[in-house]
Amino acid sequence: MEAAALPWWIWPLALFAVTFLLGIVAVLAGVGGGVLFVPIVGGFFPFHLDFVRGAGLLLALSGALSAGPALLRGGLASLRLAMPLAVVGSITSIGGALLGLALPTSFVQTALGVTILAIAALMWQSKKSERPAGVRPDALGEALHMHGVYHDPASGRDVEWRVHRTTAAFFAFGGIGVLAGMFGLGAGWANVPVFNLLMGVPLKLSVGTSGFLLSVIDTSAAWIYINRGAVLPIIVAPSIIGVMLGAKIGARLLRVAPAATVRRIVIALLLVAGARALLKGLGWWN
Amino acid sequence: MSDQHVYARWLDWGTRISLAVLIAAFLAYVFGLAPAALPLAEMPRFWTLPLERYLALSGAPTGWGWLPMLDKGEYQNLVGVALLGLVTVVCYLRVLPLLLARRERLQAAIVAAQVLVLLLAASGLLAGGH
Repeated sequence: MEAAALPWWIWPLALFAVTFLLGIVAVLAGVGGGVLFVPIVGGFFPFHLDFVRGAGLLLALSGALSAGPALLRGGLASLRLAMPLAVVGSITSIGGALLGLALPTSFVQTALGVTILAIAALMWQSKKSERPAGVRPDALGEALHMHGVYHDPASGRDVEWRVHRTTAAFFAFGGIGVLAGMFGLGAGWANVPVFNLLMGVPLKLSVGTSGFLLSVIDTSAAWIYINRGAVLPIIVAPSIIGVMLGAKIGARLLRVAPAATVRRIVIALLLVAGARALLKGLGWWN
Repeated sequence: MSDQHVYARWLDWGTRISLAVLIAAFLAYVFGLAPAALPLAEMPRFWTLPLERYLALSGAPTGWGWLPMLDKGEYQNLVGVALLGLVTVVCYLRVLPLLLARRERLQAAIVAAQVLVLLLAASGLLAGGH
């Protein structure tokens, strides 16, 4: 049956159901909803990619804003760490959003497919360091007060942290901003490795601060989509409601869900959705 | 109270209010309590189109042009969306005086720069909206 022949309400309802499931999976796998939403909804729903990317940014933004207060209060996100990097990321995310809306859809779709497949590979290979050792604080990081102590509730200890390779991190977050804006992806998948592996930030603080950073970077890019008219409430609202309800269920399942299995499911989803985006962009599977 | 806790409190309330407005507006829109500029039954014709073509055919506004159209359901939804986009600006503006009072000039300059970037993005000047 042709998508256009179906009654209009089928699609927002299906969107709600899919984003509800994505919300559960995203929490269990520790990824933002945007990275799953854009390739899956862009690949398998009838909506144009321009609107899907706008919705993806708002979806990721809503999740990041909602999680932010608890992370900041609990000391698991650091304003001092995120704020300087957020300025660079938000400027480049504006550039990415403008670029994404200016480039031909087939090019953006193809590049999205390649990016999603690369993210799947990154997740497969992912290395993490709970508490990176051998951090030699650099002058820029010290000048920006990128250091502190956070309380790890799991171990009951206070963990002192500092950063290094701050200049490289500015460039990395600049690149992440472009990708976030261009493809409408939340960028947690990239933020965490940069904080943790490049800058030497403890893993839990990296994850928490990534969420806060994402809220700033995605806000800038989201405004470009809003002002260009690329935000359709019939796509955005059910997606946000679905993913946020799903995230609540996901948070409850967190203790019992097998993390390794969920991670494999997410990687499989990314591979299928990335391949679909790539083939759609190349015109081989429309 | 630290600037981080102040930020968290404002973020919490700002996000709650924004999402509540968005959900209420969406329910009014989708259940026909608020009249839509484009009938919902016709949306499948529009949501498959590239942005430029959608704008040309639907007559949908760009930039802040939706503000005078708040009697229409879809544009009432944009109030919630815009609030989500302004939460971070408000939180940054709230911590700015705290940083200045502590003479943390570098941090305050970073916050001010971020506010300018966000306001520039929101203004519509960069996106060509009016």
